[in-house]
Parts: sequence; C-alpha cells; structure tokens
Amino acid sequence: MEVSTVLQSLISGLTLGCIYAALGLGLFVVYGVTRVLNLAQGEFVMLGGMLTVSFCSMGVPLIGAILLAVFVTVLSGAFLYLFIIRPARGASGSTLAFLTVGFAFAIEGITLLVWGWEYRSLTNFLGSSSIHLWGATIFGQAPWVVGMTVLMVVGLFFFFGRTMVGKALRACADEPLGARSVGISIERMALLSFVMAAGLGAIAGATITPLTMTAYNVGIPLTIKGLLAAFLGGLHRAEGVILGGLLVGLAEALSAGLMPTGYHDAIALAILLAVFLARPRGLLPSRGAAE
Amino acid sequence: MNARLEMRSGVTVSRGGHGPLLEYVGVTMSYGGLLAVKDVSFAVERGEILCIIGPNGAGKTTLLRMTSGLLRPSGGQIWFEGLRIDAMPAYRIAALGSTQVFQDIQLFANMTVLDNVMAGAHVWTDGGLLGTALRLGPAVDEERRIRRAAVDQLALLGLSGVLEEYPSELSWGEQKLVGLARALLCRPTLLLLDEPYGGLDTADIERLSTTLRTLKSEGMTILMVEHLTDIVMDVADRVVVLHYGEKLAEGAPDTIREDERVIATYLGE
Amino acid sequence: MSVISTTKSRVASAYRLLRVPRPALVLLAVVAVLPLVGNPYVLSVLINIGLYAIVAMGLVLLTGLAGQVSLGQGVFYGTGAYASALLCLRLGLSPWLAMPIAAAASGLLAVPIGRAILRLRGIIVAGVTLTVNMVFYYLTISVSDLTGGATGLVQIPRLPYPKVLPYTTFVFYVTWLLLIVALILSCNIAASRVGRALKAVNLLGGGSEDTAQVLGMDVMHYKVLAFVVAAVFAGVAGSTYAHYTSVIEPHTFNVQTSVLVSIMVIVGGVTSPWGAIVGAALIVGLTEFLREVAPIILGGPTGAYELVAYGVVLVISLLFLPAGLCSLPARIEQWRKERRI
Repeated sequence: MEVSTVLQSLISGLTLGCIYAALGLGLFVVYGVTRVLNLAQGEFVMLGGMLTVSFCSMGVPLIGAILLAVFVTVLSGAFLYLFIIRPARGASGSTLAFLTVGFAFAIEGITLLVWGWEYRSLTNFLGSSSIHLWGATIFGQAPWVVGMTVLMVVGLFFFFGRTMVGKALRACADEPLGARSVGISIERMALLSFVMAAGLGAIAGATITPLTMTAYNVGIPLTIKGLLAAFLGGLHRAEGVILGGLLVGLAEALSAGLMPTGYHDAIALAILLAVFLARPRGLLPSRGAAE
Repeated sequence: MNARLEMRSGVTVSRGGHGPLLEYVGVTMSYGGLLAVKDVSFAVERGEILCIIGPNGAGKTTLLRMTSGLLRPSGGQIWFEGLRIDAMPAYRIAALGSTQVFQDIQLFANMTVLDNVMAGAHVWTDGGLLGTALRLGPAVDEERRIRRAAVDQLALLGLSGVLEEYPSELSWGEQKLVGLARALLCRPTLLLLDEPYGGLDTADIERLSTTLRTLKSEGMTILMVEHLTDIVMDVADRVVVLHYGEKLAEGAPDTIREDERVIATYLGE
Repeated sequence: MSVISTTKSRVASAYRLLRVPRPALVLLAVVAVLPLVGNPYVLSVLINIGLYAIVAMGLVLLTGLAGQVSLGQGVFYGTGAYASALLCLRLGLSPWLAMPIAAAASGLLAVPIGRAILRLRGIIVAGVTLTVNMVFYYLTISVSDLTGGATGLVQIPRLPYPKVLPYTTFVFYVTWLLLIVALILSCNIAASRVGRALKAVNLLGGGSEDTAQVLGMDVMHYKVLAFVVAAVFAGVAGSTYAHYTSVIEPHTFNVQTSVLVSIMVIVGGVTSPWGAIVGAALIVGLTEFLREVAPIILGGPTGAYELVAYGVVLVISLLFLPAGLCSLPARIEQWRKERRI
C-alpha cells in the first residue's frame, strides 16, 4: 500500500467528510430547534448545485449565481416550514419526518421535470483542475470545500454563541417553554432554522458541484450520509456532528481506496452502522442535560 | 427446600411460602453521586397492606421501580417469594406474581378500556403467534376466558359502561379504576401502587380504601407509596417512613404517628 | 338437544374457529371472478398492487401495531426474491418449495437485525433500517458471482401451474390468495393477546414499555417478533415477484421500495390491515395512471410526475388524514355526529 494512495484517500475522505459534516450541521440546526428530522436536507444541497449551474449557464457571474441559488433554495426551505411543517404542529416526530420526505419527493420530481436526467457540473471556482501534493492528487475544488465547511462551522459557532438571534435559537432548542415565556417566538425561530438549513445546504451544494456533479437524485444519498453523520454525532452536539461527518467521509474514501472494488460501499456503511449501534447516544458524551 | 438464610436486616428468610413475601436488604440507589435510596431494609409480610410514606423526593417511587425491575439497585438485594429479583428483568418479576400501577396510570392510549384490562391477563396466559394468527381452538378459548375475566373485573369496579371507550375519553377517577382493573387481571400476589389516591375526591377515596381492604381479605399483599398521610394511616397495616432516601421509621400507623423523629421531620410540617 | 341443533352448533363453532372476517370473504369472491372480466394489463397492475400490499401488511403489524418505524422492508423483499431465485437456479428446487424456504430465510435474517436495531427508539430506527437497506443494496451489486451483480438474475423458473390458465391470471390468483391469507392473519393477530402486547410496546401510538414490562410482556421479544413477521410477509411477496417476472435486479429492492411501502401504509391507514390494501391500490394506481397518461398530456420525463405525486399525496395525507383513508368512514361518522348536536 503506497503512501500516496493512503494520502489520497485521506484527503478525499477529509473533503467528503466536510460535505457530510455540512449536511449534518443542517440537520442539526433544524432538529435542535424544532425536533424535526429534516430528511429533505439533501434536496437543499441538490437545489443549490442545480440552480447555480443554471444561473451560471444563463451568464450570471459565479458569485451572483450562487447568491441567487441560495435565495431560491431558502425560499423553498421557508415554504417547507410554513406550509408543510407548521400546519402539522403537535404531530409526532415520525409524522414530521415523513412530511419532509414528501417534500423531498416533490422537489425531486419538480427538479426532474425542469432539468431532466443529466448530471450537471460546474467548473472549479478558481479554474485550476488539480493540485499535486506528495504524490497525491487533490481536486482543485477540494480546498474550497474544506474552506467552506470551516467558514460554516466558525460562522455557526459565532452565530449561536455571540449573536442575539443565535442565542434565541439555542434557547428554543434547550428550553422551549422558558424561551416562549421571555417573548421569543418559537414559530419565528423554527422558520429561521429551516431557512438557515436551506441556505447552508445551498452553499454546500454549490461548492461541491464542481467535485461531485449534481442531478435530480443526488439528494437522497446525501441525506442518508448526513443522517449518519448526525446520528454518529448524537444530534445534540455540533462538534459531534462535525466529527461524525468526517468519520463518514473518511470511511467512504478509505474503503474506496483500500478495499476491493464493489464491496467498499457496503463495508463502509456497515462499519459506520456498527459504530453507531455501539454508541447510540453519539460519539461524544452528552453535555449534561438528558436528551 | 427450607434453607434459612441470615439477612443483614436481621430478619431470616426461608424459601417456600413462609416468611415475608418481599424483602429489601440494604437497598441503595445512586444516580451519579446523588443517593436516591440509602441502605433501606425492611420486609413486607404476606397479606398485609404496607404503605411507604415520606415527602416528595424521598426515594419512594425509585424503590417501587426497583421492586418491579424497571431499575437496578446500585447496591443491596431485593427478595420476592424467596428469589432474588434485583437483577431480574421486569417481565420475569411480573411472571413471579407482582405488578404495579404507576402514578400516572399509563393506560395504553391505542386500545379500548376492555383491551387495556385484557392486556393484564398476559402474564398467566400463553397464546403465542401461531395460535392467535390461526385462531386455533386453545387460543380462541383462552381469549374468551380473558375477555370474560376482564368484563367481570370491570363490572366489579362499576365500569361496565365504558368498555369500548378509549382512555382519552375517561375521567381521571375512571382511568385509575381501569388501571387497577388491568393490574388485578394479572392475578398478582403482590400489588404495587404508586400514589393511588392522587387526585381522587372523598367518595372515590373511600371506595378505593374499601376495595383495597377487600383485596387484602382475599389474600393479596399490597405495597403502596403515598404522601397523603391521613388516608394512609386509615388503610395501612404497617407504615414505613422514608426521608431523603433513608428509612426513618417502621411500624403500625399509631406507633408512627407518635414517633418523635417522624413528627419532627415530616408529620409536623 | 336435537341432532340438528347440535350439528348446527358444531358448524357454528367450527365457523367461528376459522372465523374469516366477512369483508375478506367478499374480497375473495371478487378476486375469484375478476380474471373473467379483466384484461392482462389490469391483472398485471393488480398483481403489482397485491405484492406491494403484502409487504405493506407487514408494516401494518410492525409500525401500526408495534410502533416501530421501519424503512427496511426492501431488504426482506429482496432477500425473498433472490433466495427463491437462487434456490431454483443453483439448486434446482421447485419454485413451490423455494418460496417458503425463501420466506423463512427472510424471517431468519430479520432476527439478528431486529435484535441489534430495535433497542433504539423512535425515528432513529427508521434511519438505521434505511442504512441497512442501502448496505444490502450495495452488497447485492457487489457479490456478483452469487447475485448476478447489477444485471441481476434472469430466467428464473415460473411457478408450475395448470396450463388452462394464462400465467398472469395464475400469478394473480396466487398473489391475491396470499394477500387474503396475510390479511386474515394480520386481523387475527391484531385482535389477540399478541396484538395487545404489540400495541402495548408501541411508544408512538400511546403504549407504554414500562407498563408492558410490569404486565409480564418481554418488550424486546415482541418488537423483534413484529419485525420478523413483517420480514416474512415481504419475503413471500419478493419470492412471488421473482417467479412472476423471471428477472430480478438489485434496484427493485432498494430504498425506493421501502419508502414507497411506507407511503402506502400512511395513505391507507397504518393501523388497519385493510389500509395496506387501500394504500397499495392508490399508490400503484396513481403510478400507472401517471406513467401512461402524464407524459402524453403534459410531456416531460417519465418518473417525474410520480415523484411529485408521491410527495403531494404523502403530505396531504399526513396533514389532513393522518390515520389514513381507512379512517375516513369513522371520521365522516364523527363529523355527522357533531353536526347533529
């Protein structure tokens, strides 16, 4: 086993891991505030990519295309909350999760209608196609992905830790009754969480499209991997979710690089599943309050 | 088999129908540093009504949950019918003859009243998947007997009118009675009740006390947790007082009423 | 007592023993007569409905009664299909023998999986079963020596059948007979001691695991039991499918099947065995309609309208009729009662 293969796998793993961590964070934000498991998170990512591609092909410069894509995706996230989730207030967790599944199906169908079957792609953000490092090849987009994730994580930590809105969101997550009694509108916070998840997902989608391409049906596998990241992380600590995402990415890349082709998907998933079953409460210990 | 075993509490337990039905020996429960129950030891004799009283947080419910097997004690032993049950899974303890009615009753919301009560018969019946799916003779007969027993039990408690209702449609008092009916359908030797008098009006209180006395006269042993002390003194044969997880006193209601420590820390409040 | 009345009471008690719910008998009659009036296309659609309904029936027991949300029925549907196909192709068994063995294999597979997963609560079980489904999907593609890989298995032998009937008609009878048997078994289980135990451990529906325990019910045993029964149902359906189409590929048993079956029970009514049939009929009917009609009228790629339809139907169902179509009669009755007051 060459060092370069391992290095290649590690770097791919890190990149993939960042993608899944971003997905997991989107799930985490929504679940934390609303207790809804948003199984349409992958669709937000897909939409971000698809829309960016479309806007770019219409001649809009990259930055503008991404912003527009985020905007439209955010609108869809708002739609999901306002017209699908909020009317079902009081329903059980699984009902709410299935509602997001319905939304995901509809989005997929509409995407298929509008964009068709083919995979779409974007050029790397800065044009360079690959970087060579110690015998390993890094796709040129990879630093952007990692950078995006790091920015996202830092941004989220700042947002939740320092801003008023962020603290209000956290209050809703930790103590909904108390939050309401000090005048925080739970509905508005819930809407905000969905909007944030959609926006984060869209940015992630635009960033990874040069790397992984996008099509109407990439949403579901992404959601599943994001779920794994979130479950491994325990859904109650952002650090855990990020760690979970990295783990999922590494498992996928390492198994693809080091194991006989064909089995690696199954083995990677099986290993992750086994890890989860061994520690169903998440890899990191709970912060204190019982879940 | 009559091996006599020396217990820490000083009470000897022998297997085979003599001696206390239930015994706690040095039972302790700690939750990460907090001691909910501290070294509690006492016995419950066959056919008596024993009440555990004490202020909220005294560890009473914890003790009851350990007795049903829903919690494992951190230390000590619990003996029931001469067998050690502190490490036994709850459903096995139930099969030995004990059951519990929780403070919030927890009727099955997805079943009618009748089905709820029929569920109580699970422990002494054995209709399995094959028999019930294929409606084989023995399974059908057993189902008929369970239904008969449930209908009769509900009639005894005056609930014949609500057989087909769902728990959400019942009043609190009715729910309590259904919960009791369900527990009684287990035909238990030991009935555990967690605050059975909570939320009842005077008439219902009297009815419940009468029912409990009737059950006692039929040979049932009742272990009850309560904090409404006046009622307890009326219906209990013996009382155990818990305070911050420790046993403060034990004895007949009159003795407890006059116990200085109890008056000082609890009854005086 | 005269001879006539004792005979009558004997017949009556025998009937009660077999007791088939009357609607099931009606269904049986309809099924018996249908091929005389239906054409092969209708029959093939009905076979599709029947197969899905059998899988969905398993979910009614697992999710509706026992409250375990599973998105993994696809695993056992696929196991049934592949096991049955392989037993015939590699070991030369008759399909009639292979089917029960394959169904049993699905059930046996469900035991360790159920044991491992059902310790978890709530929606997490759904996520885990989904992941297990994916693992099996990938495995099926990889172990190509055994399973034919991505191309699958072909030339699976048909069920030996009386040549008077067209094969489609025969499979239609087999499928719907199996479905009616599954229906009766499910109804029987639901109204029995086992049914009460399953409902008792249903945290989602208002059961209570603590109470179940103190009433002597082994919670884990019952959860796994429901999981296994659902798996056997799915295995039977998968095996029938394999011998019907003679060709099976991995993608038929992937996540989409599991999710679709869940949608069927949600739309039909997850707590009622009839809900499985109603839901399957609706979703398959909708799919067929959209597949044939929509691209002609509206244009666009096949598959798109179905996806949108599934999503819309699921959302509308959950928001306005969460207990499914089967609860409609009761809801109308309730609404009429309130109107009168």
